[in-house]
Amino acid sequence: MIDFQSGYILRPVNPVFIYFSLLCALLLNLLPIGNYSWVPDWLIICIVFWNIHQHRFIGVGTAFFLGLLMDVHNSDLLGLHAFSYSLVAYLAISWHRRIIVLNVLTQAMHLLPIFLLVSLFPVITHWLLSGEIYWWALTGAIQAIIEAVLWPVATQILLSPQRRPIDVDHNRPL
Amino acid sequence: MLIDFRFKALDPIRSNVNWLLRPLEYVMMMPRNMYEAASEYFTSRGTLDKENQEMKVRQAELSLLANQSEFLLIENQNLRQLIDLQNQVPFKTLSVEILFNPPNPISQRIVINRGSADGLKQGSPIANDSGILGQVVRLYNHSAEVSLLEDRDFAVPVQVARNGLRAAVFGAGRGNPLELRYLPVASDLEVGDVLITSGIDGVYPPGFAVAVISRIERNADKNSSNVFCVPIAPVNRYRQALALLYDPQWDANASTATNKPGSPIINAPGRRQTRARGMQ
Repeated sequence: MIDFQSGYILRPVNPVFIYFSLLCALLLNLLPIGNYSWVPDWLIICIVFWNIHQHRFIGVGTAFFLGLLMDVHNSDLLGLHAFSYSLVAYLAISWHRRIIVLNVLTQAMHLLPIFLLVSLFPVITHWLLSGEIYWWALTGAIQAIIEAVLWPVATQILLSPQRRPIDVDHNRPL
Repeated sequence: MLIDFRFKALDPIRSNVNWLLRPLEYVMMMPRNMYEAASEYFTSRGTLDKENQEMKVRQAELSLLANQSEFLLIENQNLRQLIDLQNQVPFKTLSVEILFNPPNPISQRIVINRGSADGLKQGSPIANDSGILGQVVRLYNHSAEVSLLEDRDFAVPVQVARNGLRAAVFGAGRGNPLELRYLPVASDLEVGDVLITSGIDGVYPPGFAVAVISRIERNADKNSSNVFCVPIAPVNRYRQALALLYDPQWDANASTATNKPGSPIINAPGRRQTRARGMQ
């Protein structure tokens, strides 16, 4: 696969690394930080990243399952995160050709609506189900912005195993 | 989602996923716990000495109060028996530890480390030393989710400690003050009144502090008053709390041969007895 940032061809991805990174993101989400709306949702960054870069490994089904886990952890309605994660996974997969050729910062701008959808989905559902909008929870938008800011960092970290040179010649480093 | 919202039919799935997820949550709580343990370990001797001194004074005060209240309790029980009122049911307490509060923009909850295996029931009140914190809303085997006082539309039946006026205090969402609803303009309330649980719901034992009135807005044209209160117990501060296992024994009696409408009332101990009034 071509790295559109540098123009080089990337090494093949290791599926173990994909699942390991998803597990790490899940564990980061389980950190008992507290009920703050700005804490980024590491898992959705990771899911969207792999959906865009390696949608053959991580698809809507994985997103649904991980969303189910987050529902139970957050004591939400069962299926709230599951639905929003799978919706976003679908969107990311269908946009991946368009997004992957862009510059990383432009990618982050493009992904902001996706992250906003995940962050505000609980509020919208609550609004649809009970008919009252919960203004305080709209601060979840901050979370989405932070996630978009973290996107270049995520790209750097999650693509680094694939960016390693294939054969390193220590005598001739160039 | 709709199925869960309307029918609560997905609880088995939820408890299974929870069983899978809980060990991971415990693992991720370790860094915080280790940090806290370390900071406790390194507290200086002076701080401990001071704390110890304060504890001793506090304990002396409390044991004095406890002796007094035991005497009052017995006296009260006797008086209640004399006038045929329902006896106050003693309740058991179970110490619980608050594990974490899940990130959830809509509701304000905490997860505690006791569950149905420890005798906790759906709806058990959770309190700490100063007052009511909340109520168990979802029960697993070894953990439970507790809705806090501040949670939206969380209601506690209370009465004003000063004059016994009954009302219900409602949560108004996170960060907003609690509200006393459905009170007329002329009701006798003052800023600083302490609201205690009234116990008429059979869920909360009576006499626990809930909130203090902080602001009253009376609008005479609508014949209603907006009363705002702040919870007494520090809702988001401590890690330890108490679950109150309380069963007021108010359940309606089953319709048996001895308990039918029209048959003579059996004077079961602890049951409310109605006294015939008027012509006999």
